[in-house]
Amino acid sequence: MIKLKLNGVSKAYGATKALSHADLEIEAGEVHVLLGSNGSGKSTLSKIVAGSVRPDAGEILLDGKPVTITGPQSARSHGIAIFYQELSLAAHRTVAENISLASLPSRAGIFVDGDALEERAQRYMALFDGVTGDGFSLDAVIEDLRADQRQLVEIIKALAIEASVIIFDEATSALDRAQVERFFEILRALKQKGRSIIFISHRMDEIFAIGDRATVIRDGQIVGTKRIADTSPSEIITMMVGGHDETDAKAVEHHAPTGAAALALSVKNLGGRGFGDVSFDVRKGEILGFGGLHGQGQSAVLKALFGAAPPTSGSVELDGKPLNPANPRAMIRQGVAYVSGDRAREGVVTGRPILENVMPIHYLRDRMILAHPPASARKALPALQALRTKFAGLGFPISSLSGGNQQKVVIARWLIDRPAVLLLDDPTKGIDLSAKADLFALIRKLAEEGMGIVLYASEDAELLDNADRILVFNGGAVRRELTGTARTRYNLYQAAYEAA
Amino acid sequence: MSDAATPSHSPAAAARIVEFAKQPLVVALILVAALLYLGETLSPGFASGQQIMRLLIVAALLGIVAAGQNLVVLGGREGIDLSVGGVVSLSAIVAGNLMAGENAGIPLAIVACIATGALFGLFNGIGVTLLRIPPLVMTLGMLGVLQGLLVVIRQGIPSGRAAPGLADFVSQPFLFGVPGILWLWVVIGLLMAFLLGRTVFGHRIYAIGSNEQAAYMAGVPVKAARIALFVLSGVFAAIAGICLLGYSGSSFANVGEQYMLPSIIAVVFGGTPLSGGKGGYTGTMAGALLLVILQSILVTINIDESGRQMVFGITLLVLMLFYGRGRSMRA
Amino acid sequence: MTMASAPARPQSRSALKRTFERYPFLPALIILVVLIVLNGWFQPRSLSFVGITGLIKTYLALMLLAVAQTYVIYAGDIDLSAGAIVSLVNVVVVGFMAQWGGDGLTILAALGLGLATGLACGLVNGIVVAALRLQAIVATFATSIFFTGLALYIQPVAGTPAPTLFWRTYGGRILDIPFVFYVVVAFAILLVVLVRTRLTLRLLAVGDGQQEAFQSGLPVTAVRIGGYALCGVFAALAAFCITGDTASGDPLVGGKMTLFSIAAVVLGGSALAGGYGTVVGSVIGALIIGFINSLVFFVGTPSEWQNLVQGLAILLALMAGVLVGRGARA
Repeated sequence: MIKLKLNGVSKAYGATKALSHADLEIEAGEVHVLLGSNGSGKSTLSKIVAGSVRPDAGEILLDGKPVTITGPQSARSHGIAIFYQELSLAAHRTVAENISLASLPSRAGIFVDGDALEERAQRYMALFDGVTGDGFSLDAVIEDLRADQRQLVEIIKALAIEASVIIFDEATSALDRAQVERFFEILRALKQKGRSIIFISHRMDEIFAIGDRATVIRDGQIVGTKRIADTSPSEIITMMVGGHDETDAKAVEHHAPTGAAALALSVKNLGGRGFGDVSFDVRKGEILGFGGLHGQGQSAVLKALFGAAPPTSGSVELDGKPLNPANPRAMIRQGVAYVSGDRAREGVVTGRPILENVMPIHYLRDRMILAHPPASARKALPALQALRTKFAGLGFPISSLSGGNQQKVVIARWLIDRPAVLLLDDPTKGIDLSAKADLFALIRKLAEEGMGIVLYASEDAELLDNADRILVFNGGAVRRELTGTARTRYNLYQAAYEAA
Repeated sequence: MSDAATPSHSPAAAARIVEFAKQPLVVALILVAALLYLGETLSPGFASGQQIMRLLIVAALLGIVAAGQNLVVLGGREGIDLSVGGVVSLSAIVAGNLMAGENAGIPLAIVACIATGALFGLFNGIGVTLLRIPPLVMTLGMLGVLQGLLVVIRQGIPSGRAAPGLADFVSQPFLFGVPGILWLWVVIGLLMAFLLGRTVFGHRIYAIGSNEQAAYMAGVPVKAARIALFVLSGVFAAIAGICLLGYSGSSFANVGEQYMLPSIIAVVFGGTPLSGGKGGYTGTMAGALLLVILQSILVTINIDESGRQMVFGITLLVLMLFYGRGRSMRA
Repeated sequence: MTMASAPARPQSRSALKRTFERYPFLPALIILVVLIVLNGWFQPRSLSFVGITGLIKTYLALMLLAVAQTYVIYAGDIDLSAGAIVSLVNVVVVGFMAQWGGDGLTILAALGLGLATGLACGLVNGIVVAALRLQAIVATFATSIFFTGLALYIQPVAGTPAPTLFWRTYGGRILDIPFVFYVVVAFAILLVVLVRTRLTLRLLAVGDGQQEAFQSGLPVTAVRIGGYALCGVFAALAAFCITGDTASGDPLVGGKMTLFSIAAVVLGGSALAGGYGTVVGSVIGALIIGFINSLVFFVGTPSEWQNLVQGLAILLALMAGVLVGRGARA
């Protein structure tokens, strides 16, 4: 039975087509996976169904009848719930309050019925009993919770609506294994009850573990739908990537520098918030990988080395000279570069032209006072072209670019004046495959030209394909070093989990 | 979107014209012209050369205060300076007392006033950045201090008078029949355009205004830049205070207060949203002119004070609808 | 493939931090206690029954207006017209009391009309800011000009006296207890009731993040309008107290109070950005302003220096409140 049907749903943001003529059928009692690289239109589609984005064209049918969804409230009343990737929680409210925020139980229609509120929250929180971790309670304030716990609250919030269609947009990204398994049990139970679930994830194993059917979206268009049982990860990846096959990352060769190469960066007993006693060397021409489970201190070490969250102990040497990572400004001047994966927060200067997004590092390193756009453009263009950045003009706002191209602009900043050390903090988060390929090709080239590079990647494949040496982090410390032929997925997993 | 092989510096011409017409500056200028026409219709002579010159002088006073306000707002993080009114008053009094009607006192008065304005701007900047007090709170508190200081100064020393040179500079033709204050305003306009468009500092203001964390990670000295914005705001308010003294002849109680909120409105009408990060001073100049003409029209039409205020309030609201309304929550 | 697990960092939250989180007005309370002690030190009579009654009588209006402002700030908005609403309600109430005779019933009718006026002003603000999506600071400044114009239309100059019955009651005693104490008790009950409403919770949720609240399915626009409406009603109540205290109508009486009401909210530990705060804090904030003013007087500051010292003390208290509050929660 078809529960939800989308006919020719389209949405454009300015000139960018986020979704064009999407047709989709979701059955009752199935987990329907949506797949596609970031910016392919999955989230737009989800938000249209959930009412928070207004479609330009197309119709939505529930149980065969066309419905008009005028907003999130109206979607709820039609029995549609959504887990938002970016979460929709009120930071200073409690868990119980957040769970029922939009449908607060009331006395006399005016007062909050505290008992009912707690009873309701309790009932749904019980679903995750035993896997929530410390400090997760009815009256815990969201602000004080860990990322995985916040994600659980958002999941519970979506479940508590008791909707017949539930959308989970990357609901597992911060969860640990036990939490994911429990979540999947809940999803299976919902399936039994005939609920329809739209499930968005980048993790292939999860998709094959929970999905019934999968629909692939590319560049805002539906590519096709497959039964999970009849397909394979490689077929799905082929659909996602489309005709041009530029993703064979394994072809990247490794040129581990000889032991004689000079040290670019030497870190001894570095300690700070979220890590301690970290020591390592980076040679010129080397790509050093940071691996391990998410959030084990890799980002914290890189941010510390860049001075964004200065270390509290230990010593750092750059090119044999002692370095004090006091703030990013000082580090930039010394020749340390840092690229954050959190583009929206720490990378792009939103709303400003591309040119102004490329230049700040050069302004600083050249101690410039006056900005001369034509001269700046002459410096910016080669840097952007080195990354095969696609853009219409330097005067266009950076927000007119796709995620991958925005990240290329952010990286191009560092190419005008070459730094000695490049720190990459999960730089490919949420960018498309071809942009990733361009990025890693450039990184290898920079290494070959003598730069020392540290790469933290949350995707193991990226790490294994690109790093010459991998330090596996756990609990804020380096637990293992993988070199040469030891750089295997098996070893990486083992090192990441065993010491936990 | 084309490939990197064909870079250009600006959007296509057709889109450009549409964009141009939607610019707040253009909107403001069209409104200015419409209001002048309306004023002339309601009261012949309203748009005469002499009248327009008078309007421009009044607009220049507001516009100079709004220059500093504009910078602070551009810098983002709820940037706002409620203390400008206090600085204008203080500067007018200090200048009046120091020059005491003598041209010889002008240089000292200028230096002292600008230093005073810069000092209070510095206090605001330090409070906002190093102590991380929200700008609205910090400058509101500072306004209270300034108002207190005004009482002290006014009761201690007899109120001063403007030097004749200063009064002439503000009201009398200075060059090509145009008063000096208008030349000053033009120079400030050019300086602001240069500062915002052609200096690294200008680009940094926009950067911290639109994404402070990203700017910090790109090596922008965020705190120093923001302190500088508040200092500049104090300086511009002080300059306006000196000019105001020249305009009114002598300093009297809280003359500057009338500039506090209008300077913010001028900035908003000029196309700089209070969230910061975009906009510029040319628009603000038009915004200041718009406000002044509007008030002046209300004075010419024959209604009493209450009616005037009601019409003014409603007109402001209607005009705001032309400008940056917030985004709809449903994209 | 991404692997994820709980971060290694242990969660340690001191009891102190939790206390401050739950009661964000604690720093303000400490400042208030210090001020009260200093007041008593320099002028023991200021803490007498009569002294306290006088202080409450004078500052009750500011307390109410600070509370009014709080509901708007809860949602991350601001109301620069709060003082103008006070003025408007003041002249409306006095005007109608005078016109209708000034006996008990007409006074009540005039007060009802005043409440309706406040509510209407609040709704106008809410519609302009939330429905038309104008920036709150500039939009409420514009409405404040309009409200002031309206007040001037109703009563062009200050001075119309309020009926004797009205101000005698406000300043008098019932069963030997000053009337203002009954007002305070009623006010306290009202606040306690309001804390438990859905509107309060929703305002705070909207203040935490409008987009998130909208996506959660909250009627964000209606909630924000509700905040402004509540603000208008409390501004009307503040106007009643002013009217009782000054016993006359003045079309500009509230103008100066707007900025003080914002200062009081911030002093009380609420975040201007919204999502966080308490009305109790705002009441304390208003009292701090009152006690600073009286202390400056009692320590014998020369009259021309009083404003400056008051200004400095309020600035310092604002800074201290923000700093201590943040330090305690961090």
